[in-house]
Amino acid sequence: MKFSVCIKQVPDVSAPLTIKDGNLSQDTDRMVLDAYSASAVEEALVLTDKHGGDVEVVLVGPDKAKETIRKALAMGAATGVHIVVENTSGLDSAAFAEILAAWHKKSDYDVILTGKQSQDTDAGLTGGMLAWKLGLPYAANAVGLTYDEAASAIVVKRQGDSGQEMVELKTPCLVTCSNDMNDPRIPSLKGIMQSKRKKVETVQLSDLGLELDALSGTVSQTQVHGFKEVPGREPGKKFEGDAEELVSNLMNLLENEAKVL
Amino acid sequence: MSSILVYVATQDGKIKRSSLEVLSYCKRLSEENGLSLEAAVLDADPARFTDKIASYGPSKIYAVKNPAFSNHLASALLEGLSSLISKINPRLLACASTESVKEVIGALGARHNAGVIPDVASFAIQNGSVNAERPVMSAKVLSKTSSSSDLVLVSVRSGSYDAVESPAETTVETIEFDFETAALKSLLKEVISSAGDKVDLSEAEVVVAAGRGIKDEQGRKLIEDLADSLGAAVGASRAVTESGLFPATLQIGQTGKVVSPQLYFAVGISGAIQHVAGMANSKVIVAINKDADAPIFQYATYGLVGDLFKILPLLTEQIRTYKAS
Ligand SMILES: Cc1cc2nc3c(=O)[nH]c(=O)nc-3n(C[C@H](O)[C@H](O)[C@H](O)COP(=O)(O)OP(=O)(O)OC[C@H]3O[C@@H](n4cnc5c(N)ncnc54)[C@H](O)[C@@H]3O)c2cc1C
Ligand SMILES: Nc1ncnc2c1ncn2[C@@H]1O[C@H](COP(=O)(O)O)[C@@H](O)[C@H]1O
Repeated sequence: MKFSVCIKQVPDVSAPLTIKDGNLSQDTDRMVLDAYSASAVEEALVLTDKHGGDVEVVLVGPDKAKETIRKALAMGAATGVHIVVENTSGLDSAAFAEILAAWHKKSDYDVILTGKQSQDTDAGLTGGMLAWKLGLPYAANAVGLTYDEAASAIVVKRQGDSGQEMVELKTPCLVTCSNDMNDPRIPSLKGIMQSKRKKVETVQLSDLGLELDALSGTVSQTQVHGFKEVPGREPGKKFEGDAEELVSNLMNLLENEAKVL
Repeated sequence: MSSILVYVATQDGKIKRSSLEVLSYCKRLSEENGLSLEAAVLDADPARFTDKIASYGPSKIYAVKNPAFSNHLASALLEGLSSLISKINPRLLACASTESVKEVIGALGARHNAGVIPDVASFAIQNGSVNAERPVMSAKVLSKTSSSSDLVLVSVRSGSYDAVESPAETTVETIEFDFETAALKSLLKEVISSAGDKVDLSEAEVVVAAGRGIKDEQGRKLIEDLADSLGAAVGASRAVTESGLFPATLQIGQTGKVVSPQLYFAVGISGAIQHVAGMANSKVIVAINKDADAPIFQYATYGLVGDLFKILPLLTEQIRTYKAS
């Protein structure tokens, strides 16, 4: 079974950030493997360990993003594909899905995994868009995956609006993964050494019959114009003291000030 | 091409409050922009919802009927919404950002070549384009995103707008939707719901959320007792759903659910940005934490610095007394 896992490189969202003239600036330009993509890689590794097969990771991004592909290879993915786009700033999920669709039309796979959203944009669109473009059955927000060999089907446990849903998808199919699915492994030293010898195929947009201008101009249907602060909450009241005092204070405030009881 | 279509989601025989929030706001938006407002409900028995929807003022309601809509099957929702788009050709499709919507909105956008702006905190129509603000970077900042596509799909975070009735003359068109589950390549095998799913967390007016500080079964019991005294839904941080003390369905935050209750209790929760992303829209936030420097206190309306194991039993008792009086 071959898993193709779409991985994204994202800024480290835990680093402090500020907004200047509507632009984001961060303390570091450290880039990391998107946590949701990392869970997708982990899940693919677990399933291929159990049922055989290989994991390939595919990334659309600048030259610098190669380090993120290496990270996934060090976790245990067999091969990497780097679709080079030096400047992705004008591209939205629709454009990434278009590029990933063009790649997958000429590669083989049984299962495509993506993150259910990405850590920086929290869009959650690429997976569904890609599935549609490739005509694949899909399920989103998976918290567990199993493979039913007899039926050649992936059984997805997904988090729905009420409770968890078990959905069976015949391969080939696509699943978007929650980071609640697993704890992605930390690459071992051996893994890191081995990753240096693993193959990363470099692909240009022109190899896929695509052009950056068209991708940012017409395939992307949304534009980001800038950023602003999240409106702050009114400063609250903080109390210390013994439990009786704290509770009677709170009861009084909930009843008479906030009037929410 | 001059209408706003609002998809009204239903669950367990009820309209989702978050859908009515979107419908109310779109009523205003339609009037301001000279667009008509239409609503769609997709259900096994949609007729039971049309009166209620009418009281929010759409000029027309599409009552789309098929048993497949009641069994959580994403492909049914996708096909249903897609055929409505082809039929009505709206300028804007707006809906509440439920898990089902999150699952289908990307595919729906790709299929109709639409601009998709998901999970927005606010949006408006200006000079023919749809402008929205949406939380990004773990909800640390808002990004200003716009689309001027012929069709724009927007999903809205719960609690972003108020649900306000505004009845108008409404017509209802019933559509017997033809949907063959047999042709599908995906199959819904079962829905596992846990006891915690009794109260719909994303709609609850009061939420009691547990963090790692509750430690064990004893802490869990204290949380359940407090929730019970308040008639509240129980929620949890990721640390707690991961430990298995509460089911994953109850997780609140960036990965979990977005809630916007009148009253939110964060008990033994440190206030990591990923958690706050799911609850910062709550009206009144009460934090109970023994660490006076815990980040959650920056968001709390009322912060109690103390041991939850001492505070909760007293609080539950006092709430019970208050409710009984
Ligand atoms: C991509 C990504 C997505 C994520 N999504 C989510 C999400 O959706 N939801 C979510 O919640 N997290 C999410 N997280 C995890 C998040 O970063 C935190 O790890 C998590 O929220 C911590 O949970 P906690 O506050 O319960 O635990 P901790 O951070 O360990 O805090 C426990 C708190 O309990 C207090 N405490 C301990 N004992 C007591 C006592 N006796 N009385 C009172 N207080 C006490 C402590 O002072 C402490 O502040 C995500 C992380 C990532 C990377
Ligand atoms: N540039 C990219 N390269 C590879 N995969 C991507 C890229 N952008 C998005 N994805 C995948 O799509 C998921 C969801 O992305 P998004 O729609 O941006 O939230 C991510 O978690 C990745 O798995």
